[in-house]
Amino acid sequence: MASATTSRFSRSALIKLAVGLVLVGGLFAVPRYVSSPYALHIMILIFLSTIMGESWNILGGYTGQYSVGHAAYFGVGAYTTVMLMQFRQVPPWIGVWAGIAAVLVVALIIGSICFRLRGPYFVLASIAVAEIMRLSATNLDKFTKGAEGILATEIPVFIIGEHVVTDFLTKVPFYYIGLSLALLTIAVTWAVQHSKLGYYFQAIREDQDAAHSLGINIPLYKNIGLAISATLTALAGSFYAIYVGFVDPSTVLSLDLSVQIVLVCIIGGIGTIYGPVVGALALVPLSEALRSNAIAEGLFKSGIVDPASATGTFLKENLAHAHVLIYGILVVLVILFMPEGLLGFLRKLGARLKQGRA
Amino acid sequence: MTIFLQSLISGILVGGVYALIGIGLTLVFGVMRIINFAHGDIMMVGMYLTYMLFSMVGIDPFLSVLITFPLMYLLGVFLQKVLINRVLDALPQNQILLTIGLGLIMSNTMMLAFTSDYKILSTTYSSSSFSVGGSSISQPLTISFLITAAITGGLYWFLVKTNTGQAIRATAQDREAAQLMGINVKRMSGIAFGLGAGLAGTAGALIAPTYYIFPQVGSVFTLKAFVITVLGGMGSVVGAAIGGIIVGVSESMGAVYISSGWKDVVVYVIFLLVLLFKPAGLLGKSRM
Amino acid sequence: MAILEISHVSKFFGGLAANSDVSFTMEAGMIMGLIGPNGAGKTTLFNCITGYYPPSKGEIIFKGRRMNGLQPDKVCKLGMVRTWQKVRPLAKLSVVDNVMVGALCRTNSLKVARAIALEQIEVVGLSHKTDFLAGSLPIGERKKLEVARVLATKPELLLLDEVMGGLNPAESEEIVRLILDIKARGVSQMVIEHDMKTIMRISDRIVVLNSGEKLTEGSPEEVVHNQAVIDAYLGESHA
Repeated sequence: MASATTSRFSRSALIKLAVGLVLVGGLFAVPRYVSSPYALHIMILIFLSTIMGESWNILGGYTGQYSVGHAAYFGVGAYTTVMLMQFRQVPPWIGVWAGIAAVLVVALIIGSICFRLRGPYFVLASIAVAEIMRLSATNLDKFTKGAEGILATEIPVFIIGEHVVTDFLTKVPFYYIGLSLALLTIAVTWAVQHSKLGYYFQAIREDQDAAHSLGINIPLYKNIGLAISATLTALAGSFYAIYVGFVDPSTVLSLDLSVQIVLVCIIGGIGTIYGPVVGALALVPLSEALRSNAIAEGLFKSGIVDPASATGTFLKENLAHAHVLIYGILVVLVILFMPEGLLGFLRKLGARLKQGRA
Repeated sequence: MTIFLQSLISGILVGGVYALIGIGLTLVFGVMRIINFAHGDIMMVGMYLTYMLFSMVGIDPFLSVLITFPLMYLLGVFLQKVLINRVLDALPQNQILLTIGLGLIMSNTMMLAFTSDYKILSTTYSSSSFSVGGSSISQPLTISFLITAAITGGLYWFLVKTNTGQAIRATAQDREAAQLMGINVKRMSGIAFGLGAGLAGTAGALIAPTYYIFPQVGSVFTLKAFVITVLGGMGSVVGAAIGGIIVGVSESMGAVYISSGWKDVVVYVIFLLVLLFKPAGLLGKSRM
Repeated sequence: MAILEISHVSKFFGGLAANSDVSFTMEAGMIMGLIGPNGAGKTTLFNCITGYYPPSKGEIIFKGRRMNGLQPDKVCKLGMVRTWQKVRPLAKLSVVDNVMVGALCRTNSLKVARAIALEQIEVVGLSHKTDFLAGSLPIGERKKLEVARVLATKPELLLLDEVMGGLNPAESEEIVRLILDIKARGVSQMVIEHDMKTIMRISDRIVVLNSGEKLTEGSPEEVVHNQAVIDAYLGESHA
């Protein structure tokens, strides 16, 4: 377990720090050398998944409250920012604060309802609340334009003083925003794990009654966990909305989205700082490769499968549609064979290799 | 008044099918303490099975229950043995995720096989109705309600009167104690999951003539099934039957008196209220 | 000075009385033994005292303050903390992290908490297991961990619910020494224990519960020779 031992500056900690700095520096330099919008798009999606996974991780992974309704926070953040921008000409970097405020109010209400429940009942309540939000956004069409959704067309130019920072016409500004937000969520997670909060969250996860008897105010700390988690998820939602330029209830408030947020975290490794990063790195490229048929084409190019053969035709026609299917199979396999996620699996593998060498 | 009566009756009739879905889920939860997020997708498979039997062989959807139920039972036993059994002692979030993954596999396999187009199974009586005291009552819904009632009665008899049924109930009440008393808990889990799938599949068959059939239809019903079981008290068969009727009635009343857009909100609000104030369900003794 | 006063406490579940009209007073610095046959309502009384549920009737007064309705975390902060009959380690945290969770009740600094934790781990004799996962410990060490964790909250009154249950004689003896050691540090303790010999040895005073009611109260000698107590226990073994 990470405890105070890791916070002392040992040699390995310094090496880790150096590697981290180089990695982050490299990531910031990427847009200078990579101009392909598609490559940047994939990176932005990875950042977005990381932000969502890390946010959920604080409540689900550390505090043990398995919310399957995080789309509520994502959607409220997304809607508030876009609505303020489209209907009230509020620039998104200001609107996002309103989004966070709105999400905190929602989280407080949801928390006061759902945190009275435990285990499966909490899961179900979190779903129900998110579904109520989705249905409300669909039905309040005067306010939200309902199922039609809102196109975000009015992104203003970002100016500091006289200097134009960005006009948001390329993917580059989104790349930097995504990267910064991803780093922010990782930093928040790190700070939580290395503080009293982290200890209290994990105590609640491991045994709520024992935690209660040791002086932990359970509702207070669950709500703190939710507030942090919801705020970061709202940031992800706002970022997504401005980047994609469109919100509607069936994408930003859907049960599918809630599930996807959980998946990133659990496939990567729950309750660890870097698990969601690993999850995002694994899931985003995989689903993009399947969606764009890159895998079928790769198989053709490498000569493993003849595109003219029956198998080839089948792959060409179906693989792109099958990406969710393969997603599902992957989930089942990970749960059955890597219950601690990819990160846990890789760590075990590493430990075994080390043992083998010694 | 006629509008009230009409929506009450159609709510009760739809509620019958909901009851079947809820009973399937509650059995699985009762015996294994697993919330099956793939329950609606299993129902969806039942819908497609019925659709195929009807369009390819010409078997009447209500008659096809005789084929659908055993086939879905076998599918359930298979899923339980191969997948669910392995996570019985796993963390709850992993159990939930496994069933979510299972649901994704089922709905997307169906999408590959049948595309995501809406299918309609139209029989000669799909839209026919008869009139009782001024209210018009849908004929297919009435038939499906009668079949539901028969199945529920049969299931109740099975659970109360037979040895296997009693063993299943004992397992649901206290898994450890049941094991100590020599009940083969693993086998009961298989039967429970089989029955759960069989009932969901049957519900799919019964609802097929009056509902659109498409691969993603499952998730709507998974959520409904959760609501129904919580209303009735998780693990309670009678509770689930009543929960189904309540959901059916509140949907049809909500659609008439509030608006069809808000009817699901009504259901979820009732759901949350019950979770908060009667967590053991409307009928249940305290289980917390 | 009385550290804890229980006056006319009753607890009903539905129509059943798990405790009825229990009253006694505990002086600071003493070890109070709480005994009684299975189902006598000992753990229920612990739950009422530490805030897991409010008593249906009566008052619980700790250090002159009425405790009824206070949540367990407040009770802990005020200096009263309990262990669990069925141990509840935070399985995926290390031994030191477990104890730190207790210590964080009195400090916000991880550094201070860690120092307190290491100290208490030393007291219970688990220093060789500091970085082991709590879930990996055998039962005897889990019980010690449980004690270290509550000690780290700096309690004035400790309620120990069968900390010797399931231990072998050598392990029990270690716990006995630990309890006496804790007493020497000035911490009051209320102890539920099944083994009569041990409870007679360590307790300054004993309260006997039977079917939810207080049967008697007195010094260990008085209790051993009390006919009602003998009947209650014989009744249990002959039932």
